[in-house]
Amino acid sequence: MYQSESVIRNHYNNINDWLDQMTSKVILEKNAEAESHFRNIGITFSTNNETARERIIPFDLIPRIFTYTEWLRLERGVIQRAKALNAFLADIYNQGEIIKANIIPKEIIYKKKSFEPSMFGFSPPRDIYSPIIGIDLVRTGPNEYFVLEDNCRTPSGVSYMLENREIMMRMFPDLFHNNRVTPIDDYPTRLLQTLMSLAPIKCENPEPVCVLLTPGPLNSAYYEHSFLSDQMGIEMVESTDLFVEGKYLYMKTVDGPKRVDVVYRRIDDDFLDPLCFNPQSVIGIPGIMDVYRTGGVNICSAPGAGIADDKAIYIYVPEMIKFYLGEQPILDNVETWNCEKEQELKYVLDNINELVVKEVDGSGGYGMLIGPKSSKSSIDEFKTKLSTNPKGYIAQPLLDLSFSPTLIKNQVEGRRVDLRPFCLIGEQAQLSSGGLTRVAMKEGSFVVNSSQGGGVKDTWVLAE
Amino acid sequence: MLSRTAEYLYWISRYMERAETTARLLDVGYRMSLFPNPSGYNNEWESVLSAAGAIEGYKNKYDTIEQRNVEDYLFFDESNPSSVYNCILNARNNALVVRTSFTPESWLAINKTYQEILNLKEKKFIKSDLPDLTEWTIEQVNLFRGSLSSLLRNDGYNFLFLGLFIERADNSARLLDVKYFVLLPKPQYVGGNIDNMQWSILLRSLSSFRAFRWAYNGNITATKIADFLVLNNNCPRSLSFCIQNIVKHLTNLRCSPEKVGRIYNNLKDLNTKIQEEKIETIVEYGLHQFVTQFIRKISSVDNEIHKEFFN
Repeated sequence: MYQSESVIRNHYNNINDWLDQMTSKVILEKNAEAESHFRNIGITFSTNNETARERIIPFDLIPRIFTYTEWLRLERGVIQRAKALNAFLADIYNQGEIIKANIIPKEIIYKKKSFEPSMFGFSPPRDIYSPIIGIDLVRTGPNEYFVLEDNCRTPSGVSYMLENREIMMRMFPDLFHNNRVTPIDDYPTRLLQTLMSLAPIKCENPEPVCVLLTPGPLNSAYYEHSFLSDQMGIEMVESTDLFVEGKYLYMKTVDGPKRVDVVYRRIDDDFLDPLCFNPQSVIGIPGIMDVYRTGGVNICSAPGAGIADDKAIYIYVPEMIKFYLGEQPILDNVETWNCEKEQELKYVLDNINELVVKEVDGSGGYGMLIGPKSSKSSIDEFKTKLSTNPKGYIAQPLLDLSFSPTLIKNQVEGRRVDLRPFCLIGEQAQLSSGGLTRVAMKEGSFVVNSSQGGGVKDTWVLAE
Repeated sequence: MLSRTAEYLYWISRYMERAETTARLLDVGYRMSLFPNPSGYNNEWESVLSAAGAIEGYKNKYDTIEQRNVEDYLFFDESNPSSVYNCILNARNNALVVRTSFTPESWLAINKTYQEILNLKEKKFIKSDLPDLTEWTIEQVNLFRGSLSSLLRNDGYNFLFLGLFIERADNSARLLDVKYFVLLPKPQYVGGNIDNMQWSILLRSLSSFRAFRWAYNGNITATKIADFLVLNNNCPRSLSFCIQNIVKHLTNLRCSPEKVGRIYNNLKDLNTKIQEEKIETIVEYGLHQFVTQFIRKISSVDNEIHKEFFN
């Protein structure tokens, strides 16, 4: 919000006035109102250390604001990246041109667990493998954005983006009268259009039947699954609701079997089809991969799409953009050292005090080391891990994430934030006019993940 | 509609209905505990437990029947599948899965109830709180039922109400049975003063005390009450009213006419019989036998609904 010490960036002026008017009593009341709203609608999540009661993510009342021109650049950059990632998937599961061109070494791709051999030689509708991509961005200075991570499988958090806006509009209608905030509530409609535009070749239905496949109520994103299917008006199914017969996929309904054309799956590859992937899996739909490969159903995202957001592949995304699209990357990657390479591992070990080390397959802020903030013993621990399993890790410099004003005990204080906007690719490519802003609630903290106590904010994109 | 969705909707209203029945039974017990204990009769808390179908479970856990324990067992106990807490928990877990199939208000009603009972459970209760707990439960269930009025009248709606009336038919019949059979085994008591008090408690437990007064003149007699609770189509908890509504919501289902037909065939005799029967004939035949048969029939209809629609 601040340009430099105590100079407020223009587009935050309205919010600053609004904050000035609020007494601490009102702030307390509104905080309680937001919390009770989130509890009542059931937007809760569970973490690895499960307690009896469901948790809600702390919600900060102060919105994060993007100007129209700021957003325009992000929009172009994210869509560019999402297109390149899909082109990459189409390529490596078919001709493999990028490997032939010696841009990405083939062992980095083919040895990954997230590479799915059974997808080889098959092209999904419109060659779209990952129709919903969440790109994690951080801002480090004026117009300086970096991509921290791509999420090509089943990025979550969009329900928070939508519910955060709902609660803000409900609690502070005047704010929306006085600011021209681009609406985001058409996201579910656009998502449904995207899914419908990806109907399989054998679908004759002008309005393809889409379903959302969830692992069930114990999944931490279950609220989002039910929220999205509700908003799209499609069935939320579990794998036991689906079965395969004669090259088609059906769901069990009170009227008997009903054919399903598009599955928006929110379960991992491993649990899709016990015949194809994990024979031990008790969940999954036997035979669905066969139906998929013969054009009876589309699965979004495609099995094997996860290779594109692998942390080792991330390094090559700027190259992909040049190779497939013939364009210069609009958004930069964070400088990344691949510990698999001897030279880079040596650099990481020598400079570990200054770096962030992440597990290649880790997520949720678990299993990472923030060098400058860690004790000597945990640094030593990571040094051992790195030496014994170098290819399991990457390292990045500690970015100075931008601060956003955040209410802490009724005082406005700066806290670090990141941003995840959601990109949809079907018949057309589009970006949500906003995203999920996550905020590190602890003073000085760099970790915004909700599993580590991070909070969320409403994210505004101002209209032109 | 997904078979699983239909099943969950059906069970949500069964659980909510059961929560209300259990709460009302507790209220009956509480009211009785304020009266002098009539000698020669079973402890009222014991009859409350058997009406709630919880006597075995209770006895496994406690040696003696005491108000405080009964209250805790029927309201909060996690090991009692019919405790108000478990009913609300189950309804809420089902609602979490099918929240997309009913209105946001219905979900809110159930989820708020769940959030509040978590708080109540943490604080537990002091003795005088029981009427508040009962009142609270009834209020919550009414909030849920009220929210259903804005639902689309589709199959989901009919499955919700099928569940509600199957559960209610079963609960009403069991209450009748417990009161008639367990509490009054000796014929000389039938028609006596104490008997009347028991019957009026039965009316209260079915939230029908005032309604009965409006529907029938003069003295409370066992026959009148039996008529009211078994055959009166104006009484929303009578067996005949429940059957009528089961038939109505079953035949309103738009899915699979042949499945509906099969269940209806099994049900129609009972429906005809209950609409034409005189209460005197039933009493002569034996209310207990009648009610036992009724319960068996309802349970077979429930099985058929599961078999035809939810598998």
